[in-house]
Amino acid sequence: MKRTLCLLAALALALTALVVPAALAEENDNWLHIFLTEDPETLDVQMTSDSYTIPLNCFDRLVETDTVDGAAQIIPGLADSWDVSEDGLTYTFHLHEGVTFHNGDAFTADDVVFSVNRMMEHDRLAKNYDIYYGIVEGAAECFDGEAESVSGVTAVDDNTVEFKLVKPCSSFLSRLATPGGSIFNRESTEGVDDFGVNPAVCFGTGPFQVTEWELGSKVKVVANPNYFKGAPAIDGIEMFIVSDADTQRMMFENGQVDVFNFDYAESQLQWFKDNGYADQIVSGSRAGTYYFMFNTAIEPLNNPNVRKALQMAVDRQVILDQMYSGEGQVLSTFIPEGVLSFNADAEPIPYDPDQAKQILADEGYADGFDMELAITSDSDAGRKISKTLCSFFGKIGVRATVAEYDDATYKDIRHNGQLPSYYGVWSADYNDPDNFLDTFFARRNTVGRSINYDNEEILNLIDEAQGIIDFDERMAAYQKIDQAVVHDDAITLPLYQRNHLFCLNPRVHGFKVAWNGWSDMSFYPITLGD
Amino acid sequence: MAKHIAKRILITIPVLLGLVFLVFFMLNVVPGDPVTVMMREHVKEDLIDRMRQSMHLDDPFIVRYFRYIWDMLHGDLGISWKLNRPVTGLIANAFPYTLKLAVASSLFSWIMGIPVGIISAVKKNSLLDHLSMGISLFGVSMPVFWVALILQNTFKNVLPISGADSWQCYILPTIVLGWSSAGRIARLTRSNLLDVLRSDYIRTARSKGLSPLKVINRHALKNALIPVITVMAIQISSLLSGAAITESVFAMPGVGGLAVEAIKKRDMPLLQGTVIFTAVLIIAGNLLADVLYSVIDPRIRVE
Repeated sequence: MKRTLCLLAALALALTALVVPAALAEENDNWLHIFLTEDPETLDVQMTSDSYTIPLNCFDRLVETDTVDGAAQIIPGLADSWDVSEDGLTYTFHLHEGVTFHNGDAFTADDVVFSVNRMMEHDRLAKNYDIYYGIVEGAAECFDGEAESVSGVTAVDDNTVEFKLVKPCSSFLSRLATPGGSIFNRESTEGVDDFGVNPAVCFGTGPFQVTEWELGSKVKVVANPNYFKGAPAIDGIEMFIVSDADTQRMMFENGQVDVFNFDYAESQLQWFKDNGYADQIVSGSRAGTYYFMFNTAIEPLNNPNVRKALQMAVDRQVILDQMYSGEGQVLSTFIPEGVLSFNADAEPIPYDPDQAKQILADEGYADGFDMELAITSDSDAGRKISKTLCSFFGKIGVRATVAEYDDATYKDIRHNGQLPSYYGVWSADYNDPDNFLDTFFARRNTVGRSINYDNEEILNLIDEAQGIIDFDERMAAYQKIDQAVVHDDAITLPLYQRNHLFCLNPRVHGFKVAWNGWSDMSFYPITLGD
Repeated sequence: MAKHIAKRILITIPVLLGLVFLVFFMLNVVPGDPVTVMMREHVKEDLIDRMRQSMHLDDPFIVRYFRYIWDMLHGDLGISWKLNRPVTGLIANAFPYTLKLAVASSLFSWIMGIPVGIISAVKKNSLLDHLSMGISLFGVSMPVFWVALILQNTFKNVLPISGADSWQCYILPTIVLGWSSAGRIARLTRSNLLDVLRSDYIRTARSKGLSPLKVINRHALKNALIPVITVMAIQISSLLSGAAITESVFAMPGVGGLAVEAIKKRDMPLLQGTVIFTAVLIIAGNLLADVLYSVIDPRIRVE
């Protein structure tokens, strides 16, 4: 019997030694371990609008957006400096000398010209074309197939590149700093079909180089020792592809990942707070607005007073508390904090259901009315928030119901301007108010967003604002637009902006919460150690 | 025998064609424009049109269907809209993981299920019988994602809970998938064996003085396992077709996970590819079950 027991014990020990995962044994390595919820669409950032982790870590742009004291600031990237002509139409970039791509090729102005032209190629159908379209001379013509190349971008010499704009565009630098503005290597990219899916041919100038991409499993990037801003302090980043929030949390618990991003798994926040991780959670304001948008073409929402009554019916702090543990702030502007022209002194939208009822009665809706709120069927948060909004509207007699659509149908109907009013979120791609106000309320977008805004004065101002050169005048214009859409015309009800929240392994240092609204970030500043 | 098998194979051809048509039809008539899902907000109408054109979405349904069939016969299932790679390659890349998991969980379910079923039948109505049938029932009735979470939580510090880097990564998913199958096999083995044990020829064998072990081994088990083997064959094919939930929870890069992502992103070529691939496996599993059945039980061939 004793012998049997000894044998069993030995067997158990041997098995334990075999099955202890490699990751647990390697927890003190100099690699950062994170997770992504899905495979990147492609490593070619010109062709994706939502897989930004790789471009932010493996490619550089002429200028970059950095977070300084929680706010966005344009800093030099591949360009050390730049000059802007007085009329705001010519941007000349002086490039950093001695920069090399991961394959050793030298970076020159020609690579910038190549990258811009590649984005605007007629047949490429690049998703981020709007960085240059209608802004850089010849970009629209090239994209529309009327020109062979973009006439507005030229290499003056190896280290100088010049952009000529169609009209002044104050957000031009911010646009260049978005991932879509990443610079590719002409030599290794031109004519290469599998650029974007094959790490072996994907060379940037960034602090990390992609070396491995196992579909559905992980992406590995290693430190670029020749990075022109200095080699990263870590050896590389291992990104596990994990879609399940509970699995993500357990991987963090057992040390397999160093950074837990709550953007991907907000349901886990309370667990972390309740289980001794509260001190490891870092946060920062997220430049994104959660909003409720009225379709002003649907009666009685074509009446601004009815819209104002609905604005007053909602206690937004309650939604923020219930949905996101109060992690954020209630907004009374469409531009969130962190984005230029944010008006901290904007008049608050009151929560006053009694007055809301009175307004409805005055407008002839004492018995309320029926209304639909549209959501996509795959959004649990959207469903919860919309149902909460319905219950708030119900308190002032409005019989609101939720209408669910699959994503494609939702976008189809919205595109035609016929979607019922809806809840949504918009995060900053670049630090400029036109990223918010133009995107939603500009004449060319308001129908496609099912807003159907028709205040000609404000629509004209939106068209003009992008070209205003004087900074203060431009900010004032955007504040006026914001005031109109939120307060005067009550086209939208801004709800709140949330915080970015991350839980960090104590060995992670130098982690900086990004200013923007994305969940993707650069891990270049990170160091690992006790 | 060969004629019987050939007949079964021939029957699968129209089934396959019908299946491809059904899948293609259903995925192409769902409302909404996939291009609007793929593209970011506010792209030019012209870009959407050009994108639609490049994806041949402007062509009539019937043209697209026959193009798909033609390409499929050449081993081309299209390019994934989301992952920008050939669907055939994506499935080929994912299948080995699914295959390993399916084989491991099938073996697990057989090794656990058949002996448990036999013991339960032999020790009918004993504590052991009730206990093992209780555990089997638990395995069959518990949702896979729940069992997965419980196992992950329990073993997260000892075993890998995600990925497919090493053989250890397969332990928990194998148990999760295998448990449910083992439960089914155990219950089926038990009930079949009990039926057989009640038959006349077993009584004769016993009256000849054969030991209980010999009676079960030599006489009862062979007949009792006929339906079990059929179930096992079908089970392998359904496991091979991708245990979507298990693969998603354990972040395994298999066919099931691929299908889940395709559904989420409305990646039609990938979804079509994975559904057709899955269906082919299930048809193949059923074919195998039919053939096995006729091999084991000659009466089937005669019928």
